[in-house]
Amino acid sequence: MQLLLGVGSREISSAVAIKDLTFSYGDREVLRGVDLNIPSGSTFGVLGANGAGKTTLVKILIGQLKPDAGTVSILAKQPGSELADSVGYMPQLNALYEALSVRENLDFFARMQGLSDKSIRRNAVEVAMDTVGLRDRADSIITELSGGMRQRVSLGAALVHEPDVLLLDEPTVGLDPELRASFWDRFKEMTASGRTILISSHTMDDAAHCDTLGFMRGGQFIATGTPEELRASTGDDSASLEDAFLFLSKGGDADV
Amino acid sequence: MFDRKIAIATRIAREIRRDHRSVALIIGAPIIVMSLIGFSFQDQKPILNQAAPALIATMAMFFVFVLTGISFLRERSQGTLERLLSTAVTRSDLLVGYLAGFLVFALVQSIIILIYTLFVVGVDYSGQLWDIIVILLIVTITSVSMGIFVSTFARNEFQVVQFIPLLIAPQIFLSGVILPTSQLPGYFQGVSGALPLTYANRALRDIMLRGSSLADVSTEILVLGAFAVGMLIAAASTVRKT
Repeated sequence: MQLLLGVGSREISSAVAIKDLTFSYGDREVLRGVDLNIPSGSTFGVLGANGAGKTTLVKILIGQLKPDAGTVSILAKQPGSELADSVGYMPQLNALYEALSVRENLDFFARMQGLSDKSIRRNAVEVAMDTVGLRDRADSIITELSGGMRQRVSLGAALVHEPDVLLLDEPTVGLDPELRASFWDRFKEMTASGRTILISSHTMDDAAHCDTLGFMRGGQFIATGTPEELRASTGDDSASLEDAFLFLSKGGDADV
Repeated sequence: MFDRKIAIATRIAREIRRDHRSVALIIGAPIIVMSLIGFSFQDQKPILNQAAPALIATMAMFFVFVLTGISFLRERSQGTLERLLSTAVTRSDLLVGYLAGFLVFALVQSIIILIYTLFVVGVDYSGQLWDIIVILLIVTITSVSMGIFVSTFARNEFQVVQFIPLLIAPQIFLSGVILPTSQLPGYFQGVSGALPLTYANRALRDIMLRGSSLADVSTEILVLGAFAVGMLIAAASTVRKT
């Protein structure tokens, strides 16, 4: 069963467009006929339990895995090197060089993203540090930072080259509520400036902040829509997103 | 064009430099090993002189292999390789950057081994010091590439260490470090011919014991170079970029 409540059926310019995507690890089918359209300048949340296929979807979007079938495009191009400068990726692991400082890490990733001019790069690193609120820790070595701060550096590394599309794999896992709120403030600022964000998460706290959501289960979206639309699909005005997820998951079970 | 390569090389150098204990071990460990071997053979100078060229090459290959293998494995396991591959970085950026970054440390290590063996342990040698360093440079390139290649097949540091008896030990036994290759059984002589250390040992022996020049050992240099290129290609094929 797949409910297409919102964005999936809209005809708007899509920053990310996926059609009938299928992917397997050997015999194990991880993604089954995934369709998705994310309009420019919005936040889309891929919500699902561990093992639902969220990370695999992100890895296909960054071009690290090739789909078995279906089409995937970001900004009307296929994922891969050609798109690298327009896409920022934050992996699940912090993926930072622990012996280097905050500034050195951001500078290195900016350079990898092609910012070879020193003064442009220096400016980009300063902006990224401001965005994630770590300017006062610029010269701290990563091992001296708390888990939440490392996650902020990791986010900074994903956006240092000011990409148009951000792919964030569980960026808020392990963050305290205050830091989670500050991450969402940043994400909203970014979409307001026209950027598109795809976030994978398994917590409903994140879901409420997204413009549109996709509930993923067993390698496919069982429902997509705005948080309000998904809540309304339960037929209960007081339903939470968690209730909606459980309701729609059970509906999926009934069909399988 | 070179900016990413330079950035990777300088980052690696910076990371190693910051790890003071590793720097101490990079310098200290080969010196301790060469001291043990050198001073225990002090009364049998001819044996030591005969063995020294092969020992220098073996030490260079062994330590560099472990250093690169574990570093590249860390790059994979901490997720930074995945992040790097999502950028516009190319395989050649990664390989050349890594090679350049490690080459500096590996060469410093090889030169320390060489200088210490020649001037402190007191091994006699003829031939040009620079010629010896050129051979060690090629050994180092082969070893860095081998380390990157092997890191693909290891999931953790323990497994990298398990590759030592598989890849390094046969080279020590079959490349003429312990016994001249001509005295090995016929079938092992064939295996010996397929090992890079055999050619490094032969070239270093010719230079250090007989005063040969690089031109005299050009065959060995060519074969060693082919091993280095082959290992580089193998390493490139395992750094997946889809």
